[in-house]
Amino acid sequence: MFSFLTLRVGRPGFPRILPAIQAVIAVIAAGPANAELQGLSERELAEIDGEGIGVVLENFKFSHGTDVPDAAGNQARIFKIGGLKSTDGREVEIVVNHLYISGNGSNYGQNLSPVNLGRLINPYRIDVVDGNDIGIRDKAVLEFAAPALVDAAQGYDCISAGAAAGSGVCSSRPATAGFVGERPDIGMQMNVAVGDDRSANINIHAKSAVIDGSYLRLWGDDDRQQMVGQFKLNFHTPELSINACSQDGLSCGSRITMTNFALELAIGNQLQPVFFDVDGTGNFVVEVAAIDRPAPGSIGADGLRGSSDAETWDFYEDYYTNLDYRSNLHIGNFSVADRDFGSARVEGMLIQHLEIRTKELAP
Amino acid sequence: MNTRYWHAAFVVIATSATTQAVAELDRLEDKDLAEVSGQGGIYLSGDISINEMGGPIENSYFGRCDDPDKKCGARLAYRLKSDGGWMVLDEIQGNFAFEGLTLRVRSIDSGFGGDGELFNRDVMEIGLPDIVRYNDVRFKIAGSNMPRPTDPGFRQTDILAVEMQGDVVMEGNLLVFPTGNP
Repeated sequence: MFSFLTLRVGRPGFPRILPAIQAVIAVIAAGPANAELQGLSERELAEIDGEGIGVVLENFKFSHGTDVPDAAGNQARIFKIGGLKSTDGREVEIVVNHLYISGNGSNYGQNLSPVNLGRLINPYRIDVVDGNDIGIRDKAVLEFAAPALVDAAQGYDCISAGAAAGSGVCSSRPATAGFVGERPDIGMQMNVAVGDDRSANINIHAKSAVIDGSYLRLWGDDDRQQMVGQFKLNFHTPELSINACSQDGLSCGSRITMTNFALELAIGNQLQPVFFDVDGTGNFVVEVAAIDRPAPGSIGADGLRGSSDAETWDFYEDYYTNLDYRSNLHIGNFSVADRDFGSARVEGMLIQHLEIRTKELAP
Repeated sequence: MNTRYWHAAFVVIATSATTQAVAELDRLEDKDLAEVSGQGGIYLSGDISINEMGGPIENSYFGRCDDPDKKCGARLAYRLKSDGGWMVLDEIQGNFAFEGLTLRVRSIDSGFGGDGELFNRDVMEIGLPDIVRYNDVRFKIAGSNMPRPTDPGFRQTDILAVEMQGDVVMEGNLLVFPTGNP
């Protein structure tokens, strides 16, 4: 390009150079456009680790619900979920009387106050991550994540509302006298109507809730040409309570209280992701496929590694022993009114196969 | 005029234009740029209606909202599998209004229980409007075998419908910033 230009400049006569310069400019302009439009293979795309977006809510407060109708039967606020049908074909309507997210000490949603969600140094994240870093080979994975778990040396106990630094792996801090903290009180009151039968109001409240380490990952599966995902929910609260009250709210039944509640739910993993689909009749399908059976003869009759194909044996050994694939539920104390039933634990649940299919009941 | 003069004139014009441009576009060093601070921000009030009375399409399926035989509202269908069915957000309609949504760039170097000092960067702050008024906001979540209701063999199963009305309390600031190591 440049030698072409020098050649022309060497000749006498200024105007003659102009067309040459114009040509050179045109060539230069065209050059980068070609260079920019290069194809990216799936593997290269998987390497891309774009900076994600961090989201923090500061002094956040949310409240919505359904009011009791006034004398004229009008309601200022309505929040309903409908369109469902019972097995005998009656309309099911869920009326949400109150849904709130508030700061600590809300007294079951009575006194709402602001709270922070996420920390500036460990926020909620929306990110495209390199699948190779999280065990999903050669894929770019869209991830929605709550604050990540941290080293026990820096973190806070996930449940204790008075946790100090260095007491656990959760990043969100409990409220203190001078700081609202990052653990919200959340709760809802709702009732369910099946046809004309309306249930009592059901109240569910969680104090100082923490969902650190939860995430939803989505990507595409080549073989099935389908959207797949992986969902992890860590939910910790020092008190989760459920009770039922009459419609007018004057009389309430006994409160079921679960203290030091910890749920670690894993739906889908790297080997068995969750598949989402809608079938030919318009029904929604969620599926966790069963793990493939080993090829005949690859696992020895005694089931030991020595008599088996080592790679196959290691694969199944990892599948059955990896704690990340398993769900756990711990309840410190389960009580109804003043009766204590002690603690409960369900540990190491592994979803081997799951298929949920919605079904139309309307004729 | 001789074309030769035209060429010369063109060069003079081009050169003088370039000189002027250079004078205007003084470089800003990174350091100087870092000191630039946007003032104020944006204050927004909004009133957004989606197909309140019915959409622009009127056919065998869509129509005015006061026609009980027709569906009204926006429809969004997306497919999760290459030859699978469609997830649908259907009959999206209603109106929501807010007053005082603010938008600004804010520098954080203190507060947040000690995190502000460690963070020491700029964020985009969206000040939530305290109250959002919903007026008859509805939508349905459904599954369908065809993207459009007018397609042959169309079947749809409504999974659930949501209805919202009245004031929703939504207070606080939404802070958005890049994560990773910029």
